[in-house]
Amino acid sequence: MLVNEARQVLSRASSLAARHQLRAISNTTQLEQQAQPKAAQEPQIKKFEIYRWSPDNAGEKPHMQTYEVNMRECGPMVLDALIKIKNEIDPTLTFRRSCREGICGSCAMNIGGVNTLACISKIDATSSKPLKVYPLPHMYVVRDLVPDMNNFYEQYKNIQPWLQRKNEAVEQKGKAQYLQSVEDRSKLDGLYECILCACCSTACPSYWWNAEKYLGPAVLMQAYRWIIDSRDENSVERLSKLKDPFSVYRCHTIMNCTRTCPKGLNPGRAIAEIKKLLSGLASKPAPKMETAALHK
Amino acid sequence: MLSSVLLRGVGRSNAASLIKSVRLSPLKAYSTIVANTQRQALTKPIVLAKQVAPLAMRQISVSAPRMASASGNHTGLWTLERLVSVGLLAVIPAAFAAPSQVLDALLAISVVIHTHWGVEAMIVDYLRPGVVGNVLPKVAHIALIIISVATLGGLFYFIKNDIGLANGIKRFWAIKGKDSENKA
Repeated sequence: MLVNEARQVLSRASSLAARHQLRAISNTTQLEQQAQPKAAQEPQIKKFEIYRWSPDNAGEKPHMQTYEVNMRECGPMVLDALIKIKNEIDPTLTFRRSCREGICGSCAMNIGGVNTLACISKIDATSSKPLKVYPLPHMYVVRDLVPDMNNFYEQYKNIQPWLQRKNEAVEQKGKAQYLQSVEDRSKLDGLYECILCACCSTACPSYWWNAEKYLGPAVLMQAYRWIIDSRDENSVERLSKLKDPFSVYRCHTIMNCTRTCPKGLNPGRAIAEIKKLLSGLASKPAPKMETAALHK
Repeated sequence: MLSSVLLRGVGRSNAASLIKSVRLSPLKAYSTIVANTQRQALTKPIVLAKQVAPLAMRQISVSAPRMASASGNHTGLWTLERLVSVGLLAVIPAAFAAPSQVLDALLAISVVIHTHWGVEAMIVDYLRPGVVGNVLPKVAHIALIIISVATLGGLFYFIKNDIGLANGIKRFWAIKGKDSENKA
């Protein structure tokens, strides 16, 4: 119904005016939906202590700012509360968010002492304790809850996260599929689901101390995802790039990564598998199917 | 072509003024600043750079910093570390079950090297040059090597000239001392 209204509005008026009207429509309907069923109940106040720092205020030290949110008018997740605070209390509060359903990894932050995604962590509305929200630990802060992810992305780039084949002259790209057996494909389960939210890497003390040299659990799990892919032929080269004392071997199996992963993955295991492959205690099995059969 | 080459050279020599203008007008877009600087450079070339006093500058970086990657092959050492860790599971009970100079020596070597690697990892992790400077990590590392070698030497001396490592520990833990002497 809303869509129809919007379409009518859009077709009638000029685009700018239409956009104004559309915003008005969606705003009122949202407010009505929120207000109507809960109007009668008394407010349930939850306190949020949020890390604040802005580069615009020269010389300002980071500090915690407390916000009070009525949980009767707020969604169940921490991200709902953050959006509500930004919309209604303090528009300067800055954080990243996108999908609000745990698939984009934008809203990774430290909530109640645990690195997780704000959009899939539920607020304990009954607790009178304030909920503390910090940016991802040991990252450079751009502003408020926004960490600088450049180093993390640079490291991800370094492991060359794409399928590499030796004989690319014969195998014309896009011409035919590469074959992979069901068993071989199942080896990627628990690896490919990673959304690169960096919760695990920023929970790892080794990554805190040596972030510029140690790749960190998230990136290493993706390295393993490409090493073990039966269709990838560059696993030897990939492994030889990880031989130095820092890239992999700064992992001391602390396992904070596995403990904190909001997607329930196990980066600690992936790193252990890389170590086994590097030491020769294990080797990458040959593909069960002839990968390039359809290219012939 | 020539003008663009000239312009590029002038732009470079005016890097200081570029940084100054960034500092003074943080809200300006980077492209605007570059454009302004180049325009200035075109009208008032080169001399401009010398007028800028070297004030405390705010460093800006427009490209990702080049991180030093570590080199070398750590694989063999890691494998050896795991082998020693697994070996300790056998060596420690064996040395206490059947005390002898050979098993004592094996125990001394494996325990000392195991501890050495552990403390070495702590030094690498916690005494980083970026945090404590370039000297302290090296001093700590050399001190660790000296301590480990001295410990191993001392243990060897004890094994050679006294009752041996396993027996020594047994005697240390015996309640009255007589018990272990009788057995040994």
